[in-house]
Amino acid sequence: MLQLIADGLVVGSVISLGAVGLTLTYSILRFANFGQGEFLTWGAYLAVSALSLTLAVTGAGVMAPIEPFSFGWQLPVAMVASAALTAALALALDWALFARLRRTGSAITLVIASFGAALALRNLLQFLYGTLPEYYTREIQIAIRLVPRDTLGGLRVTPDQMLVLGVTAAAVIGLHLLLTRTTLGRAMRATAQNPALARVAGVDVEGVVRATWVIGAGLAAVAGVMAGLVGQIRPGLGFELLLPLFAAAILGGIGSVWGAVAGGLIVGLAESFSVPLFGAEYRLATAFLVLIAILLLRPRGLFGEKA
Amino acid sequence: MTAALEFCAVEGGYEPGLPILRGASLAVQQGEIVALLGPNGAGKSTLVKAAAGLVPIWSGSVMLGGRDITRVPAHRMVREGLGFVPQTENVFANLSVLENLQLAAALVPKERRGSIDAMFHLFPDLARQRSLPAGRLSGGQRQMVAVARALVASPSVLMLDEPSAGLSPLLVGVVFERLKAVRETGVTILLVEQNVKAALAIADRAAVLVEGRERLVGAASDLADDGRLAGLYLGAGVH
Ligand SMILES: Nc1ncnc2c1ncn2[C@@H]1O[C@H](COP(=O)(O)OP(=O)(O)O)[C@@H](O)[C@H]1O
Ligand SMILES: [Mg+2]
Repeated sequence: MLQLIADGLVVGSVISLGAVGLTLTYSILRFANFGQGEFLTWGAYLAVSALSLTLAVTGAGVMAPIEPFSFGWQLPVAMVASAALTAALALALDWALFARLRRTGSAITLVIASFGAALALRNLLQFLYGTLPEYYTREIQIAIRLVPRDTLGGLRVTPDQMLVLGVTAAAVIGLHLLLTRTTLGRAMRATAQNPALARVAGVDVEGVVRATWVIGAGLAAVAGVMAGLVGQIRPGLGFELLLPLFAAAILGGIGSVWGAVAGGLIVGLAESFSVPLFGAEYRLATAFLVLIAILLLRPRGLFGEKA
Repeated sequence: MTAALEFCAVEGGYEPGLPILRGASLAVQQGEIVALLGPNGAGKSTLVKAAAGLVPIWSGSVMLGGRDITRVPAHRMVREGLGFVPQTENVFANLSVLENLQLAAALVPKERRGSIDAMFHLFPDLARQRSLPAGRLSGGQRQMVAVARALVASPSVLMLDEPSAGLSPLLVGVVFERLKAVRETGVTILLVEQNVKAALAIADRAAVLVEGRERLVGAASDLADDGRLAGLYLGAGVH
């Protein structure tokens, strides 16, 4: 029981981070970006490259882990580099594709273009990195027993898993502060609500759009690295998370940051509980059942505002 | 004397080949309140939106204090000193009253940044509601937020599109009183209005726009007694 909750929260954290980016780009660019999953994958792989590079440059060979975690200081550095590179990738994509379509196309054109971009990104990634799974570290982590087995089934978690929860919490709180306390954040909220009025008030909407890509893709990269830290890094990593990302964003009420976080955790928990109940094959199906059930009760999602 | 705001033979519209503004010209002098009147669909909103950079101008020009702002992008107008309060959806409903003002203030350079306290002084009602989302306020109070949002950027010229729309006569009086106070601080005002009587009562001069061109321009007190004004509203036209 407790174990299922913990596992669900770890998976849910990764989904939350990705879904927050999805919901941000949706509310400001006004289209559902099917490329968001690939930003997770690219984030995970770019961190692999950044990590190898850091290790090569420092001549370290292998990471000396920072106890109690499985990785050394090089991984956080690689994650920051990867977030920056993934953000640059999103900006390049916006410049080459989405910005042009925004001027002429409808929302559906943008959605379909993002679908195409996702395919291209995934194939390019496989071409560059191959299809074999990668790992940041080969260290085997000993899970810490937090609750003995005779209490609610017991609870064991690895320090890395706890870190994933912590990083997610920090990222979401940071984003919340950005959105509520800074001019950029207020400009983003203003643009999401009324782009024409935002321009009248002096907001450079194209600048806000670029900032949104940077934040959304940066969070996706962090989510990808977190997913890689507690699992395998595979070319399908982001694609497999795409539907849960959408489920989480819709569940929370698309456009709502806290909704995406709650939605991500709920989807993670639903997936985790479905394994003993229905078997691992039905993880996704269960997540969707929860989505449908909640939408039937609250059509705008948990935190959605009325249109 | 250079006009505070001048439209020179402005042509423009939303779609190519469908002109809404057909050579509109109008000069607003420093410190004036000019009412822009005219029947529904005449292009009054389009004219002020064009000045604000929201509607394409195909030919002609808009000058602000002698500077050509025809091609200035919309988001840079506040820096130039042109404030605009659109007719509808003119506040950020999901931002608090305070955030509406903070955002507007932060987006202009320091020398234009007005004090938010001064806005709360000018609109005391808002001070009490400062942490409420602007969308939760009443129509009159929202209008005050919209005006304050524009004023905190210290515009030299303020354009307002039907600020009285949807307000009770009592509230119209209150809003217009505030506009007079705003003018006292040296801000030039271009006021688009359907409420002809109330507009002529506070305006120095007025212009009537018909089919995208100004047709009648004169002192507000003269226009109030001018029979041709009603004729223009009825679509009779004057020659
Ligand atoms: N966003 C728009 N797109 C296309 N046409 C518009 C738009 N807004 C207004 N119009 C048209 O422009 C003309 C002038 O409208 P408007 O400037 O709103 O008039 P007014 O403010 O004088 O009532 C009308 O014929 C209207 O249908
Ligand atoms: Mg109008």
